[in-house]
Amino acid sequence: MAHHSGTQPEFIDITLSKTQRKTPTVVHKHYQIHRIRHFYMRKVKFTQQNYHDRLAQILADFPKLDDIHPFYADLMNVLYDKDHYKLALGQINIAKNLIDNVAKDYVRLMKYGDSLYRCKQLKRAALGRMCTVMKRQKQSLEYLEQVRQHLSRLPTIDPNTRTLLLCGYPNVGKSSFINKVTRADVEVQPYAFTTKSLFVGHMDYKYLRWQVVDTPGILDHPLEERNTIEMQAITALAHLRSAVLYVMDASEQCGHTLEQQLALFNNIRPLFANKPLIVVANKSDVKKISELSEENQACDKLLTHRVDTKMKGKKVHDVLNRLHLAVPAKRDEKERPPFIPEGAVLRRKAMEVDSPKRKLERDLEMELGDDYILDLQKYWDLMNDEEKQDKIPEVWEGHNIADYIDPDIMKHLEDLEKEEDLKEKAGEYDSDSESEDEEMKEIRQLAKQIRDKRKLKVLESIEKDVHGPRMPRTSKKVDRTTLEKEMGDLGLDMSNKDDSHYAEKARRSRSVDRKRKREPSEPPTSRTRSQSASRPPRDKSGVRDAKMLKKVKTMMKNSQKGMNRQGKKGESDRHIVDLKPKHLLAGKRKSGTNSRR
Amino acid sequence: MRIEKCYFCSGPLYPGHGMMFVRNDCKVFRFCKSKCHKNFKKKRNPRKTRWTKAFRKASGKELTVDNSLEFEKRRNIPVKYKRELWNKTVEAMKKVEAIKQKRQARFIMNRLKKGKELEKEEAIVEVKKNIHLIRAPHAGKAKQLEEKMVQKLQEDVEMDD
Repeated sequence: MAHHSGTQPEFIDITLSKTQRKTPTVVHKHYQIHRIRHFYMRKVKFTQQNYHDRLAQILADFPKLDDIHPFYADLMNVLYDKDHYKLALGQINIAKNLIDNVAKDYVRLMKYGDSLYRCKQLKRAALGRMCTVMKRQKQSLEYLEQVRQHLSRLPTIDPNTRTLLLCGYPNVGKSSFINKVTRADVEVQPYAFTTKSLFVGHMDYKYLRWQVVDTPGILDHPLEERNTIEMQAITALAHLRSAVLYVMDASEQCGHTLEQQLALFNNIRPLFANKPLIVVANKSDVKKISELSEENQACDKLLTHRVDTKMKGKKVHDVLNRLHLAVPAKRDEKERPPFIPEGAVLRRKAMEVDSPKRKLERDLEMELGDDYILDLQKYWDLMNDEEKQDKIPEVWEGHNIADYIDPDIMKHLEDLEKEEDLKEKAGEYDSDSESEDEEMKEIRQLAKQIRDKRKLKVLESIEKDVHGPRMPRTSKKVDRTTLEKEMGDLGLDMSNKDDSHYAEKARRSRSVDRKRKREPSEPPTSRTRSQSASRPPRDKSGVRDAKMLKKVKTMMKNSQKGMNRQGKKGESDRHIVDLKPKHLLAGKRKSGTNSRR
Repeated sequence: MRIEKCYFCSGPLYPGHGMMFVRNDCKVFRFCKSKCHKNFKKKRNPRKTRWTKAFRKASGKELTVDNSLEFEKRRNIPVKYKRELWNKTVEAMKKVEAIKQKRQARFIMNRLKKGKELEKEEAIVEVKKNIHLIRAPHAGKAKQLEEKMVQKLQEDVEMDD
């Protein structure tokens, strides 16, 4: 049931407001009459449609008692009274038809409406009548709503599957049993009739799913006097094809004697026809069967000690028939007992004796107290016990010792050394004894000189100012000493060249324009100048003697050393020549870090 | 404790250094520094990256097949500790290391020998072509010429006599 039948005022309100919202709302007197009629007819029909749909839905959703399984039909009868139920649904049906008729009539009448007012009144009448019809259904709808809610909470008992049914007096332990056996959580209380309706649990047995149905307790009186709660149990008993577990309370804690329970059992016996029956003696921890008095011998015959989950349904027998356990046949007289390993036997014996066999590490720890050191190396399984406490080396000079460990390592080493000896004898390791002859050495030296000279020439040509004014070679005067030096380097003999022609020429040309040698300047003659002369110069004022002067001079020089070395103009020169020094920022990324960048 | 090898440059990875990357197929990659790691992420092939050991071995610049290299091998079956075996192993390691280094050095030297030949030839060619930069063509010849002339004069004088 998707939506509920609804409380009465809601139903009508919902439908009317829906009509209001979903149909056009605006109409005027001056519209054409067919348009006005159409407008109001639409409203009537819309309302009728809504009611019809909802009521039809209700009727469809509620189960027909004739169409469902007789167990459920009976259960519903017990719970809701078949007659009342059918009556309610019938009323709903009638209401539906009435509404349809009303709508039909008024739509027909609307065709003859000649003004807006008349059509409006007709529509009002139609809607009013429909709502009155619905108002009369209030009771039925309420009843159906209750039925719906209760029905939705009924447990889903599949009448066709394997089922176990628990029945018996109230308080015998049926609910406790189902709680134990399945995952159901049925309320268990000391008072009778704790369970008021049927409960279902599921369990697995032999890889099959079994339903276990818990019923409310049944009291011993005739069928007609039973109340609703008991009737549920009876219904279940009557209709479900299941194995029946009649639970008896051996300790009589439920408040009924064994005779009463037996009487009940006989009473409902006809219901057990065609169903496998097991009588369960519950609460045997309180009072064992053996303690029962002789009067109850008859019960003993019926009783079986089944408090665990070994149930027999009919279907199980079917399966058992098809199963067959194969056992190997004895082929000779030899005894073949099961094999139990010695260790297992010892362990079992030890468990029985229940004494600590060895001293535990914990005991040792307690003994030594503060001195205790956890030394797991003592448990190692080595060839020699003295080696257990050795500190094992792991690494040597970047190599892992574990990579070299080999039981045959000495043999391999010997082979290698032999090989090495052979190689040495064969002369592989002789250094290049190919001594070069003198000629080759000289050639190499010359080649080196040539290369150096070339580099120098290249540098010179780079330094040349090619973009400036280009002076012809003759503008430069060739110095005699440089000429002689250069030619001497090239290997020519430049000694005694005083009478060579270039020397002569130089002597002749240079004799004219020779500079006059400068004389030292004379001291000033005016007074102010002489005063400044008479005042001691700054670097000698305040200085007592030559020794002090020397010291002062060295101090001055020392303080200037740092600045001079860094090429600074003075102590305030903070200029940084090279903000991005190439040697720090350029170059490839070699082995190391990036932190300098 | 174990000194691992960097996947990219084959350098040693001491404990507490480098990074480890585990791929979805459970293969583990260890890197000694971020340079190797970054190169790996760029999907560069270590066998083609010139500065790695893998390249050097793959292009024959270093000794690859040799008996002395067979000693250091990762063994998956552990051997139980025996003091004498360990002692012997450590000594053997030292000897093997010495031999290994000798052989590796020899290998590289042999490889570089060819360069020496080329150098020689180059020097000869250089000298032949550019001797004029350091020697004037007639460097010693003036004196020779003088001596020759003196000799000739002497001869002439002798002849006259």
